[in-house]
Amino acid sequence: MWGVAVLHDSVVGHAGGVSRTPVDVFSSIYTVFLALGTIVGVVVIGYTLYNAVKYRRGNREGTESKADVVRPELGELPRGSGGGRKLFVSFGISAVIVISLIIWTYSALLYVDSGPDEGDELEVDVVGQRFSWTFVYPNGHQTTQLRVPKDRPVELNVTSADVFHNIGIPEFNAKTDAIPGQTTTTWFVPDELGTYQAVCYELCGSGHSVMRSDVIVMQSDAYQNWYANTSTQQASADADATNAVAGGPA
Amino acid sequence: MTEHAEGHDHGLPPKSSVKRWLVTTNHKDIGTLYIVTALFFLVAGGLLALLIRTQLWSPGGTILGGQGYNQAVSAHGLLMVFWFISPFAFGFANYVVPLQIGAKDLAFPRLNALSYWLYLFSGLLFMASFFLGSTFAGGWTMYAPLNVPTFIPDIAEVGSLAAILALVLFVASVTVSSVNFLTTMYRMRAEGLRMRDMPMFSITILLTVWMMLFAFAALLAAFVLLSADHLLGTVYFSNDSGGSLLWTHLFWFFGHPEVYIVFFPALGIMAETFQTFSGKRLVGRKWFILAMLLVALQSFVVWMHHMFLTGINLPIKTIFMATTIGISLPFDLMIFSLIYTLIKGKVRFTTPFLFSLGGVLLFIIGGITGVFLGAIVLDYTFRGTYWVVAHFHYVMVGGVTALIGGLYYWFPKITGKMYDEFLGKVHFGTYFVGFNLLYFPMFVVWETPRRVFEYDAGFTLWHRIATIGGFLLAASFLVMFYNLFKSLHSDAEADDCPWEYASSAEWTVPSPPPLENFPGIASYADGKLSFLDRSAADGGAAGDRATDGGTDQAADGGTVTRLIRSADPVGAEVYETTETGHADHASYWPLIVSATAFVTFLGLSGVAKPYVVWPFLFALPVFIGYIGVEGMRRDGLGWAHYLCWALAAVTLAGVAVLFGIDKGSLAAGFAGASPYFYITLVGAATGYASLVAMGWESFSVPEPAIAERWPFAAVENTKLGMWFFLGTDVVLFGAFIGSYLFMRVANGWAHWHEELIPAAHTTLPGLINTYLLLTSSFAVVIALVAARRRNQRALLAYLALTFALGVGFLVNKAIEWEHLFNLHGGAFEGGWTFTTNVASSTFYVTTGLHALHVVVGLLITLFLFVRASRGAYLGEGNAETIEYFGLYWHFVDIVWLFLFPLFYIL
Repeated sequence: MWGVAVLHDSVVGHAGGVSRTPVDVFSSIYTVFLALGTIVGVVVIGYTLYNAVKYRRGNREGTESKADVVRPELGELPRGSGGGRKLFVSFGISAVIVISLIIWTYSALLYVDSGPDEGDELEVDVVGQRFSWTFVYPNGHQTTQLRVPKDRPVELNVTSADVFHNIGIPEFNAKTDAIPGQTTTTWFVPDELGTYQAVCYELCGSGHSVMRSDVIVMQSDAYQNWYANTSTQQASADADATNAVAGGPA
Repeated sequence: MTEHAEGHDHGLPPKSSVKRWLVTTNHKDIGTLYIVTALFFLVAGGLLALLIRTQLWSPGGTILGGQGYNQAVSAHGLLMVFWFISPFAFGFANYVVPLQIGAKDLAFPRLNALSYWLYLFSGLLFMASFFLGSTFAGGWTMYAPLNVPTFIPDIAEVGSLAAILALVLFVASVTVSSVNFLTTMYRMRAEGLRMRDMPMFSITILLTVWMMLFAFAALLAAFVLLSADHLLGTVYFSNDSGGSLLWTHLFWFFGHPEVYIVFFPALGIMAETFQTFSGKRLVGRKWFILAMLLVALQSFVVWMHHMFLTGINLPIKTIFMATTIGISLPFDLMIFSLIYTLIKGKVRFTTPFLFSLGGVLLFIIGGITGVFLGAIVLDYTFRGTYWVVAHFHYVMVGGVTALIGGLYYWFPKITGKMYDEFLGKVHFGTYFVGFNLLYFPMFVVWETPRRVFEYDAGFTLWHRIATIGGFLLAASFLVMFYNLFKSLHSDAEADDCPWEYASSAEWTVPSPPPLENFPGIASYADGKLSFLDRSAADGGAAGDRATDGGTDQAADGGTVTRLIRSADPVGAEVYETTETGHADHASYWPLIVSATAFVTFLGLSGVAKPYVVWPFLFALPVFIGYIGVEGMRRDGLGWAHYLCWALAAVTLAGVAVLFGIDKGSLAAGFAGASPYFYITLVGAATGYASLVAMGWESFSVPEPAIAERWPFAAVENTKLGMWFFLGTDVVLFGAFIGSYLFMRVANGWAHWHEELIPAAHTTLPGLINTYLLLTSSFAVVIALVAARRRNQRALLAYLALTFALGVGFLVNKAIEWEHLFNLHGGAFEGGWTFTTNVASSTFYVTTGLHALHVVVGLLITLFLFVRASRGAYLGEGNAETIEYFGLYWHFVDIVWLFLFPLFYIL
């Protein structure tokens, strides 16, 4: 059970006091699945080919006793041959492997679904519209480029203004559907500086292939400066709007 | 039956003539037609795939623009999933299943031909959609609201609707087919062949058609609702509060069983060929069958795994994760069963076996990668990427691989010639290499988004390998076509049984089999296949045989079946004679009916919204009048025919008047009609007439004298077919009602009634309609009793009453709708119409579907009335047609009993 606990920690929660990011979660699970899947695939395919070749006609002729196997006869009432027990053993083993794998991933699912740890996550609303993404910051600022500070979790609340889209940022394993009339959520931790892409993963029309937006991960202070500027711009824009409504000076 | 020389089959023209293929209803011919046609669509879908792969040679490919690329990926998916893979499998099912179960043909041969022609014409309509501006370009999954007119470019509207209507026509073909196969497999098995004793391929087909019966009804509902959004302007899928999700639920409820519908026949072929070519019976056959049954059932409870990112809640995600993993487990058992069958076998690497084995290996890879997708937290990242694409191509085209194995396996049986084994192996080699070069790189570059031709430059090498693999895979088919064509014209005759250790019944008859399949009545009563003398079934000899529960025998001495009708006392229609149970094999009507459907749907693709219903209304007098014409031709002129013509004239006048009112004037109405209107009108009119003719055609299909019929021993074929059909209709209405409930919950249950429905929508019209329909059900029951007791006047009176009550129902509804369409004042200025809001959309479309069922019922009532006036349906043996109609009519009434509370009270 200690092994299970280690597996559990390796996927979920705080290993070494640092929260796992969706990237960590995905990578660890994917690696295990890939390794196990490859092993199972190689073993099963290998075993199949081994038997097919070993028992090919002409290979064992003369060594087989007549009483060994009853062969199908033309016109017989269809029936099976024995071997049910071996079948169940193999089936049982494969079932155990598959089910335990899935159960193991369940705690990771709970972790990812619960969102980033409460506290300082940056919440950005996202609106998908043919064919670009609009990001709306807490201060109301709207942009088609997502700028985020390094190492701070980002939560995206996503919807669509027209058709069914899906936003994904592959480097950070963020992904969720963008559905008109409702909001879905995903989160990620941008832990590397650089420029990435938010891509559309659901066919949405003739511009689907080019529906990409930039995701820029900046140093924290650079981000703060940028955000403060947008606050100022936003404040004056709001003021203008209020004045326009009130009929005051433009 | 005496043997006939090839080319002289019981009134059918020889196979070398074109006419033969147009009129045949024999299952072997239909099977051949399906196989050939499916291969044609394989090429069409494959060419689209090559276009896609060419575009993907470099990121940002420029062969196709955005709209063109989307058409290519969408049409590739639709063609392959619908018009290639299942019809290909059903070509084999048609050919082989009756042979395997010991039957002479399917239960309803004309309907079988109808299925084929509907399939062909639906495919032609789909291909035509490319030339109507642009075909549908929203993916084969057709997500909402991209699939509604608002988001379809104008140039693509007609073509997109044509594609959708082509799919509707295709579903009609599938529904007819599933009813046919189910009735056949339950009622026409050889004596001694229990359900579990059928060969593996037949068992997989049985499970496939069960799934089809229910899954395609849900798909039909989705397409009808979508068509309504296009044709009538309803707002199902553009509704902001749940329209998108409604589509995903409907589509995937169908979509998941569909992938097993597509795969199961391949699984059956794998089982057959593994047994034959290892010379060993299938290991754990009983468990294999049980596993398949479990998969068939479970396939209906996994659909939301296609929706993990749509914001559904955690408990639901968990349930569907569990059911998804659950469904992978029976497959593990089946794969192991196949592998263990090889052990201690005498394996021969013939071409069919190579393809079958190859299919199993590819399926193993595909299946393993599917488990990845079942782990929700991985699916979050894999969604919309090439991991999914690679996974489903490995499993689906893995299935195709086995189907190709089936083609080589049964080619000698179907054609009587042996294919070239060396070329077969060349095909396999290039195929297998091409397949893996094409699809394996997709796992490597899985991060490529789906349906996108921009990708990471670093992936280019892998995409190029995939493109090369695609061309190699395509080229391998050239080898196959050459091989099969050449072999067809070669001297290499094939034996009855070219495969050592093949055991099922199709290998006991000549290659190709004669028209009647077997030299006698197939029977497994002795524990192995034997053929009873057909003449022994006539007269007393058959009656001496011991019967166990479930077998049915000739009821009256001297005749082979109990469906033979003697000459009618009134001097009306002369039916087939009794002594040999002669069967009909040819009919023009399936082809003609399907062609008219093509024309109608083609026209409908482009009809303007204000004109949509009118072609069908104008064509109605044709239906009514033609009943009179055909009745006169066949039964001699009678008063009922005059009644028909009078009714037709009245209907025409009424429709013309209404049309004039609706459009301002009759002249204005016709002036404003586009060519599409007239095309639809021609299609509808000829369609109605040909349906009448087909219904009236004398087509004798004797039921087998001796057969296993569990558990439907007491329900004869036509009645059982009607029950299966009603089963699928139940699911159709269930999907409509489910859609209503879903949208109502999504929009707010109380809000719906308070804000979206006018006060003028009262209960009274619905209540009146309920009384009318219930009374009409009673009338039909009494009509049936009258028919059984040979009381012609009572029969006519109560059929007339049914008709009148049904007409009353429709008139009452028309008044109600007219009132609601023309509301003034209040929140619904301009009326509460189809397009007003989602509540009106669901109300009119659901009760409208029901009303259409009533209209169909009334037309059938009229047909029955006219025939009854000339003496038909009298007496115990003849009254059953009234009974079948009664089943349909009671079903329609029961549906109303569900609709009335939902749409008028709650």
